[in-house]
Amino acid sequence: MKEELSRLKSEAIESLQRISQASELEPFRVRFLGRKGGSLTGIMRRLSEVSKEDRPKLGQLANTVKEEITTLFEQKKKDLAQHSGTQTKKGLDLSLPGRRIPFGKLHPVTQVMEEMCAIFEGMGFAVAEGPDVETDHYNFEALNIPKHHPARDMHDTFYVSDSILLRTHTSPMQARIMETQDPPLRYIAPGKVYRCDSDITHTPMFVQVEGFLVDRDVSFADLKGVLTSFLQQIFTKDLAVRFRPSFFPFTEPSAEVDIACVICGGEGCRVCKRTGWIEILGAGLIDPEVMKMVGYDPDEYSGFAFGLGVERIAMLKYGINDIRLYYENDLRFLSQF
Amino acid sequence: MKFTLSWLSTFVSIGDMAPEALAEKLTMLGLEVDAVGRLYQGLDQIITAKVLSVQKHPNADRLSLCEVDTGEETVPVVCGAPNVYQGMVTAMARPGVRLPDGMKIKKAKVRGEQSLGMLCSARELGLSEDHQGIMALEETLAAGISLTEALELSDTMIEVDLTPNRPDCASVLGIAREVAGFTGQTLQLPVDNAPALDGEGIDFSVTIDDPALCPRYTARKLTGVTIGPSPWWLQRQLLAVGLRPINNIVDITNFVMLEYGQPLHAFDFKKIRQGKIVVRRPQESDGTFTTLDGVERTLESDMLMICDGEGPVAVAGVMGGLESEGTEATTEILLESACFDPVSIRKTARRLNLPSEASYRFERGVDPNITLLAMERAVQLMVELSGATVSENGADEYPGRQPLVELDLRVERVCRLLGLSLSSEEIAAYLQSIEFEVSGAGEPVLHVVVPSFRPDIEREVDLVEEIARLYGYNEIPTTMPTIGMDYPDRDGLRLIRKKTAAVCTGRGFYEAINYSFVDEKHLDLMRLPEEDARRKVTRLLNPLTEEQAVMRSMLLPGLLENVQRNINHQQPDLRLFEVGKIFIQQEKGGQPEERYQLCAVCSGSRYPGASPMYFSDQQSDLLDIKGLAEDILESLRIQGTNGALDFVITSEACQPYADPSAFISLVDGETEVGRMSLVKADILQDMGIKQPVCFFECDLDLINDLDVIKKRFVSIPKYPMVKRDIALLVPEKVPAGELLQAIRNHKAEHVESVDIFDVYSGKPIEAGMKSVALSVTYRSTKKTLDDVTVDRIHEKIVNSLMTGFGGRYREGT
Repeated sequence: MKEELSRLKSEAIESLQRISQASELEPFRVRFLGRKGGSLTGIMRRLSEVSKEDRPKLGQLANTVKEEITTLFEQKKKDLAQHSGTQTKKGLDLSLPGRRIPFGKLHPVTQVMEEMCAIFEGMGFAVAEGPDVETDHYNFEALNIPKHHPARDMHDTFYVSDSILLRTHTSPMQARIMETQDPPLRYIAPGKVYRCDSDITHTPMFVQVEGFLVDRDVSFADLKGVLTSFLQQIFTKDLAVRFRPSFFPFTEPSAEVDIACVICGGEGCRVCKRTGWIEILGAGLIDPEVMKMVGYDPDEYSGFAFGLGVERIAMLKYGINDIRLYYENDLRFLSQF
Repeated sequence: MKFTLSWLSTFVSIGDMAPEALAEKLTMLGLEVDAVGRLYQGLDQIITAKVLSVQKHPNADRLSLCEVDTGEETVPVVCGAPNVYQGMVTAMARPGVRLPDGMKIKKAKVRGEQSLGMLCSARELGLSEDHQGIMALEETLAAGISLTEALELSDTMIEVDLTPNRPDCASVLGIAREVAGFTGQTLQLPVDNAPALDGEGIDFSVTIDDPALCPRYTARKLTGVTIGPSPWWLQRQLLAVGLRPINNIVDITNFVMLEYGQPLHAFDFKKIRQGKIVVRRPQESDGTFTTLDGVERTLESDMLMICDGEGPVAVAGVMGGLESEGTEATTEILLESACFDPVSIRKTARRLNLPSEASYRFERGVDPNITLLAMERAVQLMVELSGATVSENGADEYPGRQPLVELDLRVERVCRLLGLSLSSEEIAAYLQSIEFEVSGAGEPVLHVVVPSFRPDIEREVDLVEEIARLYGYNEIPTTMPTIGMDYPDRDGLRLIRKKTAAVCTGRGFYEAINYSFVDEKHLDLMRLPEEDARRKVTRLLNPLTEEQAVMRSMLLPGLLENVQRNINHQQPDLRLFEVGKIFIQQEKGGQPEERYQLCAVCSGSRYPGASPMYFSDQQSDLLDIKGLAEDILESLRIQGTNGALDFVITSEACQPYADPSAFISLVDGETEVGRMSLVKADILQDMGIKQPVCFFECDLDLINDLDVIKKRFVSIPKYPMVKRDIALLVPEKVPAGELLQAIRNHKAEHVESVDIFDVYSGKPIEAGMKSVALSVTYRSTKKTLDDVTVDRIHEKIVNSLMTGFGGRYREGT
């Protein structure tokens, strides 16, 4: 039996050496170490047949052989696992595209609007919303645009009745919030606005983000700081920004803000009409009349307000050249962003 | 407002400043330049040419054969103009030159005769509308010099997009004043003083009946007028800014309006009945009025009319009348230079839909103190260019004379609002540079007298803006505000909308945004009955089209149009959602109720765009939409008043646009917060959609009112679970979900969860029955469950299902 054991051992070592694939491991284990029909188990079962004196020695020897073979087997198993891709299913073609579960995307206007809101929220602005169908009072009168003011020409208004209209900007939120709260205030008001105008650069509905800040000693320099910071955040860090005088009845002084053309980098192209600048937003210090109408003392408080068109920013960011694409909801458009 | 640099230069020197630099400077002063256009481009290629001889073309009656001196050589040219003559100096385009309309001149043979160039009319060169013949230039001009040089055509047109607050800059004078301000010059006016008029010794009268609407009216009479074309220098300025020259008188009124910002009107004096001018509102007896464009107008009592002794002769500040208009035969003129109330003019121009250069200026505010000066300029030009004689005196009624606005300006206020530190003297200097009268320089409060041409300056803050723009917005420092920290409440509905959208996109739905206004026909398309609340739409008074005439009361129709569009563009596998407002009109003429809703639609493949190699090519169905709804509810963690919201399968609550055999209402007790179904087949047919479309509608305002389930930690189970499957044969009509519900309702001990993993009918199952395979998970929080315990509970559950649903064990399992 002793010879049998040593023959088995060398036989096992030899066949283990010949093993080159993980698939051969299991037959080996069954053959030599298997609990039911393994050669070693067979020998050990026959131990009871040998004499009592020889039994301990042989038993020990059999155990040693078993341990040696087991150790070698485990070692072989490790080696093979290390050197081969045993975890990969046979025949899986890794060049195939990944298995993806389709997902949808937010509309580009929503994406940009949320990005804008996030930047302002990061600066401490809160988000507030108001009605789309607004009163003439909040849309115009409270913003210092009386009836028959030429500034109403700048707003091609959809009317529902004499005194009710579709808001032409989200600025009514300025008056609505100031009416009910005391400074300091920091708000942005995103939302849909409407103007009766429809061509390649205008849709009758678009999304605007209005913002305002009111406190003691808020200056035009502060307005410049907040807006420059915002624009550099939403476009590029080193974006050139310029402020120039303009007119809005609800701000004084009023400003139009241009950014260096993001298409040509300021060299001059078709998009910026060769000026190198692109008009991006209107802003200004809140007009004292607006303050007075909500009961603020303009000598005590000052503030600034601004309005941004979301579609325009998205167009510049993504290079969209036709504003009408936004509201056709074609998947070939929506899936691009 | 358009002007040319040559015109501007008559008021102020622009030195060697390039047009672009000037444009930039004006833009930064708040006069946004929209366009800088080089005028007469390409005309430097056109030369003067002298016609040396003219002969009839041998083969064409209407053509002439000319020998033309080009300054370098003598060349033959065939010419078709009737006005060509020997000795004429005209404009010529030589071969190789392109005309402004793009036509390239070539050497040619015209009816057998060689022609080495073309003699041009003013229209062919883009100089005017004149096409009567070729241009007749001064005969003293040498041949061979460029036309640009010969006619001093080198010029640039600048167009400024004026904001409504700057009526003063709707004139060359106003622009020049700004230029003088930043270049430190004094303005040179072509006419800088005018005689006072007191009405003595004139043969007409002016009466203002309504001084509130007409603060000032001046008039002078010219006699011996000869109507004729204006000289080139005048025509070219009008043409350059887009006005068509008409005749010397009309051209002069236009020219002076552009120059001084004062609209003028020339009446044919002989048509002013009784020699009377009365400024008044229309009377009933006036009837209708025909404006000079030939349109008969209905007059309204709040319009302002210029009348003569018998009736209206012009709509004040808007348009003259056909009757009193000057004609070629006119020899006497009454020239009006007046000032009208802006609001009145604006209303009238709107009402008559007659926006004009004059009304544009009046409705923004014309300087009442420029009236006489502008009149004098026009009179001098008329005398010079039409051979007229002017009456020495004239009428000047000025009942609305206002004192100049005087303002106090706090230096400290300027600095604080702008974030600057300017001295009192600096501020004074800025204002003085644009003709404001300032006293108190050096003091903390300046006293400012506002010139009458700046009606927009009414308050201290308006002066602050003037200083800011003169200082330069870009020069003002950039700082960040210091404001106390706070954290205002977040808008719950906005958060719900964002979360909902996130679940939808995660589930493969693309966000759509549709117009808030829709076609009212949508309501019919959706089969809404008359009494449906969604028929209470908010209607626009002035929609762009009928397709955008009412505010939407549902989101679904818009999404269906998107489905239709995408299918038509070969994209039949669709998952779209929209989160947006719907509008339900309340009382008439008031604001509608606005509610946020979610609508999601799916159609076509369950996994749009995914390879059928990975996901079987299944078509989506209502359970996909139900799954979306369940995911949204779980993500929002909302619960109804009494526990979870219920998905009730019902045909009673079915909407008119939904399939009653497949309708699920999402309810909290009695309140429906959402619903899902298939769009009715006949609606899809109407829209030409040939595949089923499932939808989910949900009112997010209602969802926002529900309670949120707080997040609470429950210990992770220590003991293993035991799973037991049941395969039951039940009558086919039994809803499988009820089996689930029955197990849950059984509330048996240790049941952790129940799930359905298969529903099957068909062979070998007998007809009328189906097999439902359920899996029940058991677990105890206190010990490892043994088989005996689990079997006991499981058997009870199975038995109760069998008795409850008339089911039995499926054999072979």
